Amino acid sequence: MKLSLSRLLLAGAFALAVPLSASAADVTLLNVSYDPTRELYTEFNKAFAAHWKSKTGDNVIIKQSHGGAGKQARAVIDGLQADVVTLALAYDIDAIHEKAKLIPKDWQTRLPNNSAPYTSTIVLLVRKGNPKQIKDWDDLAKPGVAVITPNPKTSGGARWNYLAAWGYELKRNGGDQEKAKDFVKKIFANVPVLDSGARGSTTTFVERGIGDVFISWENEAFLALKELGPDKFEIVVPSVSILAEPPVTLVDKVADKRKTRAVAQAYLEYLYSEEGQDLAGKHYYRPTNPKYVEKYAKQFPTVNLFKIDDVFGGWQKAQKEHFSDGGTFDQIYTNK
Amino acid sequence: MTFKATQIHGLIAATLIGSGALVFSGNALANDSSELEALRALVQELDQKIRVLDRKGEIAEAAAKDEKKKQPVIKANSGGFTIGSADGAHVFKLRGQLQFDNRSFFGDNDPDLKNDNVLRRIRPRFQGTLYNIFDFDINTDFAPDTTTVQDAYINARFLPEFQVQAGKFKSPFSLERLQSGNWIRFAERSYVADSISPNRDVGIQIHGNLLEKKLSYAAGVFNGIDDGRSGKQSGDANTDKEFAVRLFAEPFKGEDSVLAGLGFGIAGTWADQKDDAVADRYRTPGLQTFFEYHADTKSNGNKIRWSPQAYYYYGPFGLIAEYARSSTDVKRGINTATLDNDAWQIAGSWVLTGEDNNFAGITPKNNFDLKKGGWGAWEIAARYHELEVDKDAFDGGFAATANTTTNFGRNATEKAQSWSLGVNWYLNKNVKIATTYDHTSFDSAYANIKDREDEKALFTRFQVAY
Repeated sequence: MKLSLSRLLLAGAFALAVPLSASAADVTLLNVSYDPTRELYTEFNKAFAAHWKSKTGDNVIIKQSHGGAGKQARAVIDGLQADVVTLALAYDIDAIHEKAKLIPKDWQTRLPNNSAPYTSTIVLLVRKGNPKQIKDWDDLAKPGVAVITPNPKTSGGARWNYLAAWGYELKRNGGDQEKAKDFVKKIFANVPVLDSGARGSTTTFVERGIGDVFISWENEAFLALKELGPDKFEIVVPSVSILAEPPVTLVDKVADKRKTRAVAQAYLEYLYSEEGQDLAGKHYYRPTNPKYVEKYAKQFPTVNLFKIDDVFGGWQKAQKEHFSDGGTFDQIYTNK
Repeated sequence: MTFKATQIHGLIAATLIGSGALVFSGNALANDSSELEALRALVQELDQKIRVLDRKGEIAEAAAKDEKKKQPVIKANSGGFTIGSADGAHVFKLRGQLQFDNRSFFGDNDPDLKNDNVLRRIRPRFQGTLYNIFDFDINTDFAPDTTTVQDAYINARFLPEFQVQAGKFKSPFSLERLQSGNWIRFAERSYVADSISPNRDVGIQIHGNLLEKKLSYAAGVFNGIDDGRSGKQSGDANTDKEFAVRLFAEPFKGEDSVLAGLGFGIAGTWADQKDDAVADRYRTPGLQTFFEYHADTKSNGNKIRWSPQAYYYYGPFGLIAEYARSSTDVKRGINTATLDNDAWQIAGSWVLTGEDNNFAGITPKNNFDLKKGGWGAWEIAARYHELEVDKDAFDGGFAATANTTTNFGRNATEKAQSWSLGVNWYLNKNVKIATTYDHTSFDSAYANIKDREDEKALFTRFQVAY
């Protein structure tokens, strides 16, 4: 009798609580992304929400968080409840596995193209008329040229910039690492301001009028042209650049805890859909679906691209050698 | 003496123009265009340097803001001291309560009741929240000669509708008992809360708020305690557990209605206990015990309490009313009985200075401040309450042996009736001076023992709570 009464009490409470908790109709996702993807995901989120509503009848509200990719990954490791991350490079997502075990080690195999639904590259943005006559990477190392790039310690884009310049010099001098180091050192000696993320560097170059050349994500450079007009800036395509593959992944433990796995997975898969690919192209990311590669082919200049795996042996190795504490970046850069 | 960037850039432009003018005039003399170019280059260089300095300042400011967002948030205000993590998920609060009482008794009590100055409550309190879900509360009272842990519990707020609380805390029964000791309107609680109801007990309960907080519920299992008592934090004093359930509704809460401050509910406890001493204790508003059971009186089955209860607050007016009955199966030797003891109270209060009256306290519109002319909030209150012990407790010999010399008939009182008048001065939200006068009359259960002499008690309290 006593036992049955206690069971009755507990069952009653659960009976009261469960329907109330299950009645929530809206689902909320948090997409933690890197700096220049604001515009892409603002539009993509609306498209996905409409798609999800028509498919399931559920409302999904996607919140965005943007910043330097390294900082964003650190925030997720420190507890920011991201259902998905869409970051600038694989290493930062690897860190989420290594330091917080929020995702499996093989996260990059779960979606096509190494989980990179779109790609990009690094170009040079100069002021109209190109007053310093910048044509390639070697012009950035010349005295008197002010170069704008974010901090590779905090920005994924900056690491792509750094490695693009390094790879260019390696190709030019036949693989001499010391010469490449000296070359990149000269470029960074020309950097007057290090922002923490790519969007901050855009502000520095475009809005504050600082510097002669901005080492930029291709999409960010196109955005500057679109927003401010081709009468203000020009894009200089270097002879060689790097193929940037910004990857995406579900954050398993957060999604499971928040019971958002299905919608979060669908969100990422929708990046590969025709609408997702079209939006990527529209926002100057290079689509991976051949149909949309073709559609946007005229928009993107032809660039001689190298892969990080081919020149640097992958992100893990590149990170350790160049961007970890005491790595080459710490050796060449003196805070001004 | 700092220039904004635009001012500096303007200055540079003016310099450029001035330089051009100088050069132009010089041009008439020397026509030195290379000097003009050099000056232009110099101005551009200076302009870039200023822009860089300006931008570095912006970046440093943004970084400082980001860093600030990561710093713990420290607050010290009338709610106590709080340290919270930057994201608000973890919070630690230091609170406290100090009550100094002067107790004066009037009348011809023989022997005289002792006039006294006492520290009624000395309760530093450490509360907090971890991971936005798990609350804890550690409330220790240093006022008794032996330090007592009043509350020590963990509350897991899984959902507002479903929370689990475990530890030592107030049993979900009496309305006035559940009201904070900081905000009771009289120096001591009524017979319902102080004598018939359980106080704090060790156990676990589920509770929550439903229907936009218009309905609250609590249901728990506790060690089980006697009327007017608190449980020990270590060890159960009786053989079986006690179940407690309470439902409380405020159907018009949050609405623009004269009934918005109406709340009513019902609570009950049940236990099945055998052969334990029945240690119920009933006492007067002057905290004088007037009834206990005989040491040989033992529990003999069910102990059931139930209590309908209500309050109503509208503007400066407040009313609280509750009834409680405690039915206990007892035995002494071969005698057995079910004893029904009950009590009820009705109390009203009026805030003279016009502040809103509220179950959770009163916030003065103007704090007491001689320099600024603020006098805080003033409140008057009146209460009637009574307690009646089952006649069978005396006829069956279950009551403790009547003492006819101490206070004229301890354990001979069948019924106590009290009226109370209170004046409360809230100097601010944290400091209160409260005076309560209680007059209690007693009816003896025995024809041959005269009524206990009326108790006339004036309690004055100086309270600081934060």
